[in-house]
Amino acid sequence: MTHSGLPFDDPEPLAPAPVRRVLSVGELTATLRTLVESEFHEVWVEGELSGARVWNTGHLYFTLKDAQAQLKGVMFRSSLRLLKFTPEDGARVVARGRLSVYDPRGEYQLVCEHMEPRGLGALQLAYEQLRKRLAAEGLFDQARKRPLPSLPRRIGIVTSRDGAALRDIIRVLRRRYPNAHLVIAPTRVQGEGSAAEIARALRLICTVAGVDVVIAGRGGGSIEDLWAFNEEIVARAIASCPVPVISAVGHESDVTIADFVADLRAPTPSAAAEIVVGRKDEFVGQIDALHGRARAALRNAMQQRLTRLHYVAGRPAFAGLPGRLAFRQRHVMELAASLRASATSALTARRRRLDTLARALDGHRPQERLARVRASLVALRGRLDTVIRLRQHGAQTRAREAAARLHALSPLAVLGRGYAVCWNDERTALVRRADRLAPGDRVRVTLGQGEIACDVREVYADGRAQGDA
Amino acid sequence: MMDDTIKDFEAAIVELAAIVKKLEDGDLALEASLALYERGVQLQRFCHERLEAAERRIDILNERGELVPAASVLTDIGQDEDH
Repeated sequence: MTHSGLPFDDPEPLAPAPVRRVLSVGELTATLRTLVESEFHEVWVEGELSGARVWNTGHLYFTLKDAQAQLKGVMFRSSLRLLKFTPEDGARVVARGRLSVYDPRGEYQLVCEHMEPRGLGALQLAYEQLRKRLAAEGLFDQARKRPLPSLPRRIGIVTSRDGAALRDIIRVLRRRYPNAHLVIAPTRVQGEGSAAEIARALRLICTVAGVDVVIAGRGGGSIEDLWAFNEEIVARAIASCPVPVISAVGHESDVTIADFVADLRAPTPSAAAEIVVGRKDEFVGQIDALHGRARAALRNAMQQRLTRLHYVAGRPAFAGLPGRLAFRQRHVMELAASLRASATSALTARRRRLDTLARALDGHRPQERLARVRASLVALRGRLDTVIRLRQHGAQTRAREAAARLHALSPLAVLGRGYAVCWNDERTALVRRADRLAPGDRVRVTLGQGEIACDVREVYADGRAQGDA
Repeated sequence: MMDDTIKDFEAAIVELAAIVKKLEDGDLALEASLALYERGVQLQRFCHERLEAAERRIDILNERGELVPAASVLTDIGQDEDH
């Protein structure tokens, strides 16, 4: 911009202004369009298709490329219908049409009327060749796919530090599993040399302790943008990764070589994050549900046994229980007898040894020592007797305890432990509070064995009588 | 003799599910049920510990293979969505 265009800056306002034809942008563009359309009303052009997409209007938009340049193009629905093949990215085509200028954007484009394929595009061809070779090697075999850890310790991420893919992954992981630990190996994901960088990042991230799953990917783009994920070096790095790899190249229609090799293919980086770890609250719910079921099952098992026990105890043939107790008692006594027998035989052996010793000593008549040994023998016998008594006592106690435990399961068992149940005289309600009674009232008391009718002499509503220890 | 080591989260969940199934449809002795249940509680605790154990962290693996904490531009992502 110059100042000379402004009238008050004009040093000579009266001088005749130079004749200038100022065009509006619209006029210039329209002129250009007329020129271009008359000059290129029918051209044939060859190139590789890229970014081909049919919009919901039914028109196909695409870019034709070669090593030097690119050309935008459109093919209207009416022409597109007549094509025998589906124009796909990477296809090498010859297109016939006219050039036009799209005024609102100031862009020129090819309005394509007809299109013919010219074999496969170079990239497409490379892709097909590599895919076939790696498939033949078995790199895509289903058997190679490893299961993902359900709760990764550290999640490795191989992608661009600045891409939307990384942001999407982090956002999703934060939501699902807030305390996840992420390790990011930043790398370029497009352009010359990016494949080697991705491969290196993959190799490196697997060496980080605790990383037990890796997401490798990028956001969507043209087939050229995604190309690194179609290169052999990346495919090999994924295949040799010691932990499972999820490919996440954000382009749903294209399947990259990386997608074939990966243990799991996610259609987008966000989807990869959804796949890599379950929701934390779902985990918690699942574990707690399992625990709840275990508890219920256990309670159930106990309840069943109690019911069975009460059933048995309630039957007239309750005699079974004392019978088993008697059996146990006999067992205890037998045990005690055999214990005593073994103790006695041990004692006899010692006595024999002592006798031998005594005979050996006899010659020397060491009366005092002999007396000492005899004394210790007496003490020894005493100790053995004590052991026997203790063992016998222990066994009996255990038997009694076992019986008491069985008995305790009966609802009336508490009475056997010395508790009593106090009823009103009519035996229609339990007496729970002393202050509901007055001297002279009659109560009934159920004991462990039998029942008694009692007259109330005094009532101590707040506890025991004074002086009652 | 029950093995009381726990390999990892997966194994713990699988074992816990198996225990629940056994408890639910097994006609086990009470002692065996109790032992299974105790093991179940142990597994459940382990799982909860594992769920809480992971640190909320983002590290960047640099060129030398070292881990360095990520800049806040990354760690702050999704913070505003926390409630």
